[in-house]
Amino acid sequence: MIEVVGLNKSFGDKHVLKDISAVFETGKTSLIIGASGSGKSTLARCLVGLITPESGRMLYDGRDFLELSNKEKKELRTEIGFLFQGSALFDFMTVEENIRFPLDMLTNLTKKEKQMRVDEVLERVEMPTSHKLFPSELSGGMKKRVGIARAISPQPKYLFCDEPNSGLDPQTSIVIDNLIHEITVEYNITTLVISHDMNSVMEIGEYILFIHKGDKWWEGDNQKILKTDNEELLSFVNASGFLTNKKADL
Amino acid sequence: MSIYRKRLFDEMVSLGLASLGIIMVISLFMGAVITIQTAANIDSAFIPSYTIGFTTRQSTILEFSPTIMALILAGKVGSNIASEIGLMRVTEQIDALEIMGVNSSSFLILPKIIASVIINPFLVIISMFVSIGGGYMIAMFTDIVSVSDYVYGIQLDFRPYHVVYALSKAAVFAFIFTSVPAYQGYFAAGSALEVGKASTRGVVQSSIIILVANYLITQLFLI
Ligand SMILES: Nc1ncnc2c1ncn2[C@@H]1O[C@H](COP(=O)(O)OP(=O)(O)OP(=O)(O)O)[C@@H](O)[C@H]1O
Ligand SMILES: [Mg+2]
Repeated sequence: MIEVVGLNKSFGDKHVLKDISAVFETGKTSLIIGASGSGKSTLARCLVGLITPESGRMLYDGRDFLELSNKEKKELRTEIGFLFQGSALFDFMTVEENIRFPLDMLTNLTKKEKQMRVDEVLERVEMPTSHKLFPSELSGGMKKRVGIARAISPQPKYLFCDEPNSGLDPQTSIVIDNLIHEITVEYNITTLVISHDMNSVMEIGEYILFIHKGDKWWEGDNQKILKTDNEELLSFVNASGFLTNKKADL
Repeated sequence: MSIYRKRLFDEMVSLGLASLGIIMVISLFMGAVITIQTAANIDSAFIPSYTIGFTTRQSTILEFSPTIMALILAGKVGSNIASEIGLMRVTEQIDALEIMGVNSSSFLILPKIIASVIINPFLVIISMFVSIGGGYMIAMFTDIVSVSDYVYGIQLDFRPYHVVYALSKAAVFAFIFTSVPAYQGYFAAGSALEVGKASTRGVVQSSIIILVANYLITQLFLI
């Protein structure tokens, strides 16, 4: 479980995150949604310590991230998997090496166990034969999938995915969404997914946090979101064309 | 730990082997031109023609091989390092390393600096041989200076200390043309545009620092 209490972050005089509080529960897929530039990635980057918020607390199962010693932080890092918005695969490593890298850094697995892990996660993201390719030889969507494979390979307790299915075709999107959800349930981990995609929201959003211009604007689940009368959220949902499609189905 | 050793080895290969060709070509022409220019400037009957060989060797060892090669490599290796690391910064690869608990600067930058400090003196030694060889070819294929005079000249009054001085310079310069661009790349922010600017800054700054360091080291070692 990750608890966020009163998080504030500014860049210069631009107040990007305004007093955000939320609870992301274990074993659930939590979604952070909002327009481009609303502060979603910034929130995730604060949570994992890539940037330091001006104020607020972030509790990882009770451990206050900002209060931890360097050693404890390092330990906590071994429990975090992160998929970056742009995948952030290491250019100078093959797909296989990219996925093995966090295993080398964070775990004490044997060579054989690592290889098994690599094969397994590549299988899961439906790229079972891409071991030897370099990131430059992959399409954007394939990079995303390798990024996911790399994030989940050390079996993290906390998984962050920044737009895991942007750039993927609808079918692969569903596969990836389901994969993230499966892993969350199977390993009982805390998963945060940043998304624009209303299909994912409806599919896997057990907890949804809607951020509007840096403010927490709405929270709820995928049942409540359809009945909301929150204006900004409605226009976000409508812009995706989701409701109109659904109504046409009925 | 073995992953760091592999990084070091990879960097030695990519920084060393990849620069060998350009070093050899430039050194060959450099030695040839030094020989011709020295000859052109000596037209007194009182100066023996083996001076040409002697001067070629001295200027090659003391100055041309260590310093010119460092400036060339500041352009080639320096811009490469700055843009490679800068690109890793803007594509969040450095953040990805940090999240995995890796100290990104020592993982990315240190192997480059160490590899270059180790490899560059060897490149400079090769450059010295090739440059003096370039002069030899002038002696062989033209009648500017006879081969025997040239060969006598390049052996005259050889002081190993000069080589030590030159290789120390090579190591210091290697440190400069890797660390300065790496620093610029590491702190590049934002976009590909910024990476380009960081790369230019890295090359310009390291060239200037190399020249200043060259002056200081010479003052310290040779006077
Ligand atoms: N390092 C930074 N320096 C200055 N401003 C920043 C920085 N990072 C983000 N911002 C600003 O913070 C705001 C929120 O950015 P963020 O990347 O969190 O948006 P986002 O919700 O993830 O958007 P998107 O959906 O497009 O990815 C933006 O206005 C951006 O300009
Ligand atoms: Mg974002």
